[in-house]
Amino acid sequence: MKKLIYLIVLFLFSGHFAMAQEEEQTEKKVDKPVRSPWESGTLVNHQTSITQYKNTLEMVISHRFGTIDNGISDVFGVMAPGANIRIGFNYSILDNLVVGYGTSSQKKYQDFQAKYTVFEQTRENTMPVSLTFYGNAAIDAREEAVFGVDYEFSDRLSYFSEVIVGRKVNDWLSVQASANFTHYNSVDSLLDNDKIGLGFGGRIKFSPQSSLTLELGIPLKIESISQHTSFTDHPKPHFSIGYEVSTSTHAFQIFLTNGLGILPQELYMYNLSEFDSKSIRFGFNITRLWNF
Amino acid sequence: MRKLKMSVIVSCTLVLLSFVLMSFVQEKKPWDIPAKYQSMKNPQAADDAEMIKIGKMNYSRHCKSCHGNIGQGNGPKARSLDADLGDFTSAEFQASKDGVIYYQSFIGRDEMPNFEKKIPDDEDRWAIVTYIRTLKK
Repeated sequence: MKKLIYLIVLFLFSGHFAMAQEEEQTEKKVDKPVRSPWESGTLVNHQTSITQYKNTLEMVISHRFGTIDNGISDVFGVMAPGANIRIGFNYSILDNLVVGYGTSSQKKYQDFQAKYTVFEQTRENTMPVSLTFYGNAAIDAREEAVFGVDYEFSDRLSYFSEVIVGRKVNDWLSVQASANFTHYNSVDSLLDNDKIGLGFGGRIKFSPQSSLTLELGIPLKIESISQHTSFTDHPKPHFSIGYEVSTSTHAFQIFLTNGLGILPQELYMYNLSEFDSKSIRFGFNITRLWNF
Repeated sequence: MRKLKMSVIVSCTLVLLSFVLMSFVQEKKPWDIPAKYQSMKNPQAADDAEMIKIGKMNYSRHCKSCHGNIGQGNGPKARSLDADLGDFTSAEFQASKDGVIYYQSFIGRDEMPNFEKKIPDDEDRWAIVTYIRTLKK
């Protein structure tokens, strides 16, 4: 009887041991995130799922020139007045969490932002997509008179939040879609304080370093969140097409777009330009990374 | 006295000249590769097409601007560097051990930057070594 019990115990443990070995083997095979689904944290105006590695400082210089409609007389907007410039710094606290600050010439926006990639798409498709949250709060730092009577500091504040789902389809194609919410504390009396929008983006890589980028942002007309019976100056969709080249520590993006804004809430709330020969303009983003 | 003066001037000139010449003819500074790296072997097969493709992508992004299109040390940034960038196509370079190439590429020294944080995945680093091996003439 004793022998039988010993045998049973031995059998059970041997099974457990074999299973543990199997588990160890399966544990070893970790499905890693896909390699560089995007070249940098920004596509054109929208964010991508990319968060730089922990302890990386990213400087982003963004520029939107004037419209191209004056032709060569102002070098297709390059020398036109009214350009919008932003310089920003982002720091990766964790591999998937970035915080940043930026200052823009348009409306003297001072923005604070955070981006968190909840999970990344993996190489073996265990996770087929990446999911990223992005949010910012901006202060319109122009003089008080701009805000009219009954001024309060909170009138300067605007917010933008976005959920981004992205997928690297193959070595040359990456796509993403996003849903976003814009809120301005203070707007003109005929406008809504809130806007919901959809964003779409894509990258077509045609060499190890170069890509064609496409981006579309659509502010939605949603009556249930509107404070008015009709939509006045409803913002137009913004579309961008660009060329991107990246190196170890830099990404250069040059593009044509119909939005002057660099901050997304500005584009989703106030862009009244169509994507036509009168309204499009050149713009660029340059990013530089430092690892610590 | 005159002879002594002359010989001092000549010897000083010679010393100065040798310093000037030494600055032109710099000898290659040998790499001090730790034993851990000396014994490292590339886990990837030399003909692994997938890894060669990934290695080429990463080489283009991280290495090409200095080391050139095919590793001859003639990239656009090479001119501004004092370091000897080597020639990856040469038999001398290709005779280097895998671990030595790994150390030189990712740990670096002086003007050769450290790439451990920029390329954190070991598989991606070895993919670059695998690709560099394909550059031999």
